[in-house]
Amino acid sequence: MAFDSDIGTQIRTALAQYLRREPSAIRPSDSLRDDLGLDSLAMIELLFRIEETFDLEIPNEDLLKLNMVGDVTGYIEGRLGAPRPAAAAPMPAPRPVPAARSTPAAPAKKAAKRPVARKSGSRRA
Amino acid sequence: MNPRVVITGLGVVSPIGIGIEQFWSAALEGRSGVRRIPPFEGLPLEAYRSQVAAQVRDFDPRRWLDATQAERIDRYAQFALVATREALDDAGLRLEREKAHRVGVMVGAGMGGMLIGEQEFTKLYQGLRPNRVHPNFIPMITLNSASGIIAIAHGAKGPNLTISTACSSSAHAIGQALACIRSGQADVMITAGADASVTPLAFAGFCSLRALSTAFNEAPERASRPFDRHRDGFVMGEGAGVLILESLPHALARKARIYAEVAGYAATSEAYHMVVPREDGAEVAVTMQLALRDAGVAPAQVDYINAHATSTPIGDPVEVTAIRRVFKRRADRMLVNATKSLIGHSLGAAGAMGAIVCALSLQTGQVHPSLNYDDPDPACALDGISSKVQERPLEVALMNAFGFGSNNAAVVFKQAPARRRGRRRRSR
Repeated sequence: MAFDSDIGTQIRTALAQYLRREPSAIRPSDSLRDDLGLDSLAMIELLFRIEETFDLEIPNEDLLKLNMVGDVTGYIEGRLGAPRPAAAAPMPAPRPVPAARSTPAAPAKKAAKRPVARKSGSRRA
Repeated sequence: MNPRVVITGLGVVSPIGIGIEQFWSAALEGRSGVRRIPPFEGLPLEAYRSQVAAQVRDFDPRRWLDATQAERIDRYAQFALVATREALDDAGLRLEREKAHRVGVMVGAGMGGMLIGEQEFTKLYQGLRPNRVHPNFIPMITLNSASGIIAIAHGAKGPNLTISTACSSSAHAIGQALACIRSGQADVMITAGADASVTPLAFAGFCSLRALSTAFNEAPERASRPFDRHRDGFVMGEGAGVLILESLPHALARKARIYAEVAGYAATSEAYHMVVPREDGAEVAVTMQLALRDAGVAPAQVDYINAHATSTPIGDPVEVTAIRRVFKRRADRMLVNATKSLIGHSLGAAGAMGAIVCALSLQTGQVHPSLNYDDPDPACALDGISSKVQERPLEVALMNAFGFGSNNAAVVFKQAPARRRGRRRRSR
């Protein structure tokens, strides 16, 4: 499915769908683990969807660098060779999320079964 | 009064040896069974993040099984059958002399017939001819095929069960076999753990879970490194371990040689997460404490722990944290090792492998090295872990096994009653 939104928005959208929140509620400085409550399996599932979306493979050793939403955006941009947005630029206004699912792979019912990830005792594998 | 339960026979098919002599000798030498995997047919190995595993090499089932029998069972059941034959011979147990309904089979298997499953699935979707699915597909893939075939091969008509709790399957099998004998349902339980899932899809699944080591593809023997600072995931293994569990009166009556006693067991669930353990080790600590209580043993009496220790970044510290909670100052005085450093993680067979090691260690006073323990990680260091063989008379051993699905098991073994303590030739 073709996208015309920037990488940051795509990632926020993927996260928002996964977490069932509004994309505007997700900030680049949000910690995937501590702010968004992703445990290690949720992280892996999310990154799997991102790999499918951007058609790339994220090796295990790169996973350690991905702690905040902004880290993920920067990493994907680096892998795709896209220019980074200006550091001081405000986040663009969120585009409307398309009605159809905009990311492939992990079925919705899988996300539905998963409870809101616990905050305590969770660390990426 | 429930009978005490002892181990009178051992059998193994493993990545470091087929047969107990080969296995134990290799274990004491610290030999690794991990190699680069030969590519799966039709799939480039480079497409897999992890490219190493501990496989059983040079295993021709027709050496031990007749060809027809061998063809009708998946690899994991072949392993189990071959190891059972060795264990029964080792125990000197002739089932035709036993009351058949008093001899049961308890198998732990996490994945079961993966190979046949994947092969038939591929054929079906490539050929689109459902009627060409092999008639043996269902008998081979059904998870109780190993326990069934063991009973059939040896005429064991007692309780026949398969336990599937992922990585703790055969630890649970030992516990349930213990319960069968204690409750009087059986005198003998052929207790096995078996898995053979280094297969294209299952292996890929573990890669996708990011659970496997990927940093040592060029140096396979260094990949499985429990407790070491540079560990980065577990190494998949395969194999089967079999223990003959027997009531003590029954063993004494037939003058069986006894390796060790199965003294206690506990099974719990963390009720926490399918694949992530509780970081504080609190639940694992409870499992160990319950097993010790079942065995009537105080923490201060434990001499040796055969750790679950898979070489994952999270899992090893959780186990050590739990060990420190339970044993406190004694934690650094016990001997501890990680069998998975040698043979990888054989999933459903892991508990049986650990139990075999406990039995041999109790019998010989030798504790095999933890391979690749080069740079201890302070988060999971214990003084009793060593990359060398350790020797000390041992009275009580504890084995841990923790499984996906948030479930834990611990088994306590004791030195065999002095009357029937047999000596296996020490291998060095």
